[in-house]
Amino acid sequence: MSKNQNSKKSNTHLKLNNIGKIFYKEKKFFDFYSKGNRSGFEAIKDINLEIEKNKFVSIIGPSGCGKSTLLNLIAGLQTPTSGKIIIDGQAIKGPGPDRGVIFQNYALMPWLTTIENIQFALNTVFPAKTNADVKERARKYLRMVGLEKASNKFPKELSGGMKQRVAIARALSINPNMLLMDEPFGALDALTRSYLQDELLSIWRKNKVTVVLITHSIEEALLLSDKIVLMSSGPSAIISEEISVDLERPRDREKIEQDPTYLKIKMRLEKHLLRETRAVEEVT
Amino acid sequence: MNKIISTKAKVFVTILSLLIFIIFWQIVAQQGLLVKNFPGSFKTISSLIWWVSDPFFDNGPNDLGIGTNLLISLRRVLIGYSLAVLVAVPLGVFMGMSKLAQSSLNPYVQLLKPVSPLAWLPVGLFVFRNSEITGIFVIFITSIWPTLINTAFGVSSINPDYLKVSKSLGASKSTTIRRVILPAIMPNILAGMRISMGTAWLVIVAAEMLLGTGIGYFIWNEWNNLSLENIFVAIIIIGFTGFILDQFFGYLQEKFDYSI
Repeated sequence: MSKNQNSKKSNTHLKLNNIGKIFYKEKKFFDFYSKGNRSGFEAIKDINLEIEKNKFVSIIGPSGCGKSTLLNLIAGLQTPTSGKIIIDGQAIKGPGPDRGVIFQNYALMPWLTTIENIQFALNTVFPAKTNADVKERARKYLRMVGLEKASNKFPKELSGGMKQRVAIARALSINPNMLLMDEPFGALDALTRSYLQDELLSIWRKNKVTVVLITHSIEEALLLSDKIVLMSSGPSAIISEEISVDLERPRDREKIEQDPTYLKIKMRLEKHLLRETRAVEEVT
Repeated sequence: MNKIISTKAKVFVTILSLLIFIIFWQIVAQQGLLVKNFPGSFKTISSLIWWVSDPFFDNGPNDLGIGTNLLISLRRVLIGYSLAVLVAVPLGVFMGMSKLAQSSLNPYVQLLKPVSPLAWLPVGLFVFRNSEITGIFVIFITSIWPTLINTAFGVSSINPDYLKVSKSLGASKSTTIRRVILPAIMPNILAGMRISMGTAWLVIVAAEMLLGTGIGYFIWNEWNNLSLENIFVAIIIIGFTGFILDQFFGYLQEKFDYSI
């Protein structure tokens, strides 16, 4: 019901309204005696962004620009110092199972097997579900990422790519309508990375989810996204540009690199990132 | 340098060194090289065999079998130690999770940790008026610190990714503690419990010299009998028991080591 209403009104899934985040230093004992302003580190400021339903959006920027902070805010893991994060017309108050989060270091619990890691997520989000139900569902998502055979293995027995596939299965198992990914393929070798990118695309096509992907790879952003959000260098990072990627899907890894639109956007991104990275490197 | 030695060779070397030690000890004692009447290894071994062949006799508190005394000590340690773990783990989790708890409890921990637990013995006797409970109390005080400190450290140094996952799923605090924090810090808890057990086993011998019965009192009693070889028997048995206890925790630590 609400879904229909929403789609009639607008197709906006996520809206960031003037988001800012300042990290304050912890007060030390002697600070009680020194009056004055609390000094803080402003990671991001004045972030305004709208993301449509079921779109694939990448956020790219120089390292240390607050991309991960922004993702943590959307996930509800941290609260913004100013501004509002609106999902489906509602300001969020914290984390929720409508958003699945995937971290760079996989964040699998080493004391649980592959399937138990997924079961933990399911048990937490759906406490009413029976054990048999949970197990069946966990198996289904492991099958989806092609790891059904590894269900009783521990994370330490899996390769980096396999671990990230388990993490993806875990994030999707709770049936979110938004996937938040924080440089998910950053720690993987090039071949595994390509494989997982293709895997992610096919999952995204089948599952009807909005994806927000943090990355520092221009190629990755171009291959995967509908829109690329460019961030300036931090501190006080802002969104400097939004670029829509109007390339036909499915995109072929080899062919796309000949596409003039692709090359044009790539040049633009490279120029921007180089400029912003220079700003970072020359200040520090 | 470090050549791989076969198991057979290792066992052989161990037995050889033991034999050399026993013979050396016997010669030193027999020749009176150390002091007169120092018991030799043969005498010690024969009384070890005597004590071990009938370990559980009971002819009153000053004449108990060595097995009976060992069990008395083990029971005190086990009760005091278990109580300490039951207190230390929840308190450690609390201290690790809350800055307020950390700063309000840490001064006591830091102040009391370096104090020999035996200093609490008179306090225990005064409060409980019972040597059995005092022994357990001293072991409790002994065992609490390493487990408490290791648990608190484990919680405060937990991989933030696990907590992020738990939080992003909307897990409650109790779910997070039960299903994420406790399993994650299991290696720390076990490391603390291993140190606690080691110290408890050291302290019980000293405490029992003052309290009566138990393997520590056995040593004190044999000192009054001027029977040094029986003291050596007790030392061997205490060492062996401590070794078994430590190996047990070593085995548990290996089971809960997630990194390999």
